[in-house]
Amino acid sequence: MNPDDVGDYMLPLEEALDDEGLLFTRDDDDDALRIAFKSEGDRYFIISYRDDPSFVMLGSGWALPAEIDVDDAVDVANEFNVRKKFVKTAVWEDQRDVLFTVELCVSSADEVRPHVGRLLDVLRETAAEFFDDLREDDDDDD
Amino acid sequence: MTLVRDTVAAFIQDEGHKVDVSVIDESEGVAELLFRTRGQVFSVTTHERNPDFYTLATAYEIPDLARENTNNTETLAIVQGEYPEVHFTMAHDGGLFIAAAQEQPGSPEAFTKAFWDVVNRVRDAGNTAIERIVDRTESKAAADKFINSLTMGER
Repeated sequence: MNPDDVGDYMLPLEEALDDEGLLFTRDDDDDALRIAFKSEGDRYFIISYRDDPSFVMLGSGWALPAEIDVDDAVDVANEFNVRKKFVKTAVWEDQRDVLFTVELCVSSADEVRPHVGRLLDVLRETAAEFFDDLREDDDDDD
Repeated sequence: MTLVRDTVAAFIQDEGHKVDVSVIDESEGVAELLFRTRGQVFSVTTHERNPDFYTLATAYEIPDLARENTNNTETLAIVQGEYPEVHFTMAHDGGLFIAAAQEQPGSPEAFTKAFWDVVNRVRDAGNTAIERIVDRTESKAAADKFINSLTMGER
């Protein structure tokens, strides 16, 4: 699909965030279209690439707290990737970051709009469960 | 001096949410702040004359199938016992109820610090109440069906 044919295909996602009562900012460049926003103080992003407009990614990034063992984080991430619907959990071992993303292939961002609330819930719940699991592991080790 | 409502509204916006501020009583300095999170509209009532006092509330619509239940008020009272800081009020002829928490945190800053915890408590209480109301409706429907089948008997 040629992006020029579909106009600003992130607009339906902006409208979905608007429906959710969320504020957002746009940061586009020659390669990608990006929306950044917060919900209940946590930061999220939506990204789509100009050369691949059918691909849309929603996500949130978090720093691993110092007391968390990276190997434990990778184990939990792998377990989540097997078990969880929608969400991909990735640990950046060098940076000690963890990224939760939902990647979708859609013919128009309009298709995502009705599901944005659910996808945000899934991202939020996955991040909360991830850190809860790691803290439980940490407590068990003590 | 910054108004209490402005401090709270600025916090909610900084957390990523649009806020609609309405002054309810200018002379008493009472305002209502409306915002939306996870698909639910919440209101915060602020008092300029009493910056220690806040009410955070949200409404839950009772599903159609459960509206005729005579024990919804009793169910709300039971759930309220499990969430003592949240108060339920039935409204619109039993069509919805309000879940509200009254907070006295000491200052607007202290209120914003605990803000999402209060939202979570009110939300948990409201969701639990809806689950119980629907659960009782389904249990009652199953019991009625069972009783009816017994009453009809078989020859």
